[in-house]
Amino acid sequence: MTGYVSPFDDRARPEQPLADRPPQLCGLRVTLLDIRKNRGAEFLDRIETLLQSAGAVTSRQTKEIFSRPAALDLIDNIARVSDAVVEALAD
Amino acid sequence: MAAEQRSESPPAGPAPALAVTGLAAEPVTIQSLTARGGAMLLFVNEDCPTSALAMRRLGPLCQEWASAGVSCTAVFEDPLEVAIRVARRSGWTGGVVSQAAPYQTSRAYGLLSVPTAVLVDQQGQIADRVTGWDQPAITRLIQRAAAVAGATLATPAPTEPLRKPGCSSKAALDPAIAAAMTHPDEDAMEEMFERGWTDGLPVVPPTEERVEKMLGRHARQTSLGQVPPAMGELTLERLAACAVLAGCRPAYFPVVVAAARAALDSRFNVHGQAVTTQPAGQLVVVNGPVRHELGMNSGMGVLGPGNRANLTIGRALRLMIELTGGGMPGRLDRSTLGQMGKIGFCIAEDEEVSPWPPLHVDRGFAPEQSVVTLIGSDAPLSISDHRSRTPEDLAYVLAWAAASTWSTNWWPLSEPEVYIICPEHAEMFRAHGWTKDRLRDYMFEAVHKPAKDLRRGETTPYVHRSDPDAQIHKWASPAEIILVVAGGEAGRYSAVLGPCTGMGSQIVSAEVEPR
Repeated sequence: MTGYVSPFDDRARPEQPLADRPPQLCGLRVTLLDIRKNRGAEFLDRIETLLQSAGAVTSRQTKEIFSRPAALDLIDNIARVSDAVVEALAD
Repeated sequence: MAAEQRSESPPAGPAPALAVTGLAAEPVTIQSLTARGGAMLLFVNEDCPTSALAMRRLGPLCQEWASAGVSCTAVFEDPLEVAIRVARRSGWTGGVVSQAAPYQTSRAYGLLSVPTAVLVDQQGQIADRVTGWDQPAITRLIQRAAAVAGATLATPAPTEPLRKPGCSSKAALDPAIAAAMTHPDEDAMEEMFERGWTDGLPVVPPTEERVEKMLGRHARQTSLGQVPPAMGELTLERLAACAVLAGCRPAYFPVVVAAARAALDSRFNVHGQAVTTQPAGQLVVVNGPVRHELGMNSGMGVLGPGNRANLTIGRALRLMIELTGGGMPGRLDRSTLGQMGKIGFCIAEDEEVSPWPPLHVDRGFAPEQSVVTLIGSDAPLSISDHRSRTPEDLAYVLAWAAASTWSTNWWPLSEPEVYIICPEHAEMFRAHGWTKDRLRDYMFEAVHKPAKDLRRGETTPYVHRSDPDAQIHKWASPAEIILVVAGGEAGRYSAVLGPCTGMGSQIVSAEVEPR
């Protein structure tokens, strides 16, 4: 068997399970994250209206730029103050 | 040397002994294959489409025949690894054996072409033989096999083509030609595809020895950081593997390392470029003495094929993003169309022909430094101008060629846009004493439209906010126009490369450290 050097980072990474889905929206603290894609804010406006009519308490956050991962302190902050988050992709 | 002239042996007489290699440690013999009744040998090779057809048609039936006492064995004229792979892909459920050059077993059976099916009875006598794909004859052979085994055997459904000629048996080829057809790395290259270590083109297998040579004095486990989007750790060993895969010579590795350092600089935002739906590739411009040391092309056909250093350095960077970084098109790379520059896009600047300071000097390096500069870019758009007789006319033509880059009405562009200025165009500006700044300023001033003319389809919020008659320029400033001189000495074709837009991606340069 020929020995090859892999170009991959073959480290095993534990799969991150999805958080439990909330059973209802009423009373939930929902952060709406605008990633600064074109017209993303318009989409979030509509989602926010629907969430509020379902009894959710909404707040808005904004990423620095859509093309980079969100800053860790922004993620931490959202995790601290929210029960759920909606991130808008757009165009 | 002429091929040996032989004629096909008649289907009679004792079956010659087998000189083959199988999967098990025990030798494969006619006696072992006919122990439970009869045996069908199907001589095939990888290169023959008719062999593949025969294996697909007969392969699914082999297990049932074996249960009825007739063994079924594919006798390959290929290495065992190849035989196993081809058999698996064709759904072959029988045995697999391999023979090496000069294909002694094929010669003993008098083969001129493959596939050839040979039926051997329990006494070791050849009972039937079919050459090529011949559905009625194969059905006859199977019926004889059934008679040998005293059982009923399934026959393949009569599907077109009912007959298809075979291909030359490797045993019938001139030995020199046969040897030339068996490249030792051929199967290793196929293995690279199976491992996913490729951009879709054949690659050079990154053996320990090749990676060691590529690394030179570099320490294997030194990390240059994490490669987006999957954040794979980029050790120099992995980067060297990418360089080997790309086809780089070891002498190119310092340039690959510099390009990787530049790509991982957060200002370049390779993360955004790697996953965007845009077609963005990464243009690598090489300046300084290393261009000559590596024999890079800055001249004729600079944006196309022909130069190993240009092509493989750019490809190594792309393989780093695709393999170590996980930015493979169709997976984390979501580019709608992609572009050929995403295979690899590296050029050298023709500093000797240029009337201006080269790109790396513009960016603060000394002329004697070797430097790579990375720019997120779209594919080149060629600009023909053989008629301008003044620098003003030529600058106007060059500038307006960029009007539709990114999008016809998306003005102004706030990202760097590269022009490759060919030597004849550069000479026009040199002859009239135009500096880079003068050309950039003229181009910037030349391209503008009233906002009202840009309000169709995709346009910028800036255009919407502006007075309808306000003049909007194509670029936010002259600094967005990057000028690089390269190309053949004859012909008046320059090019403009649309930008990578909205990524916050800046141009990044890195010095090439000596090997």
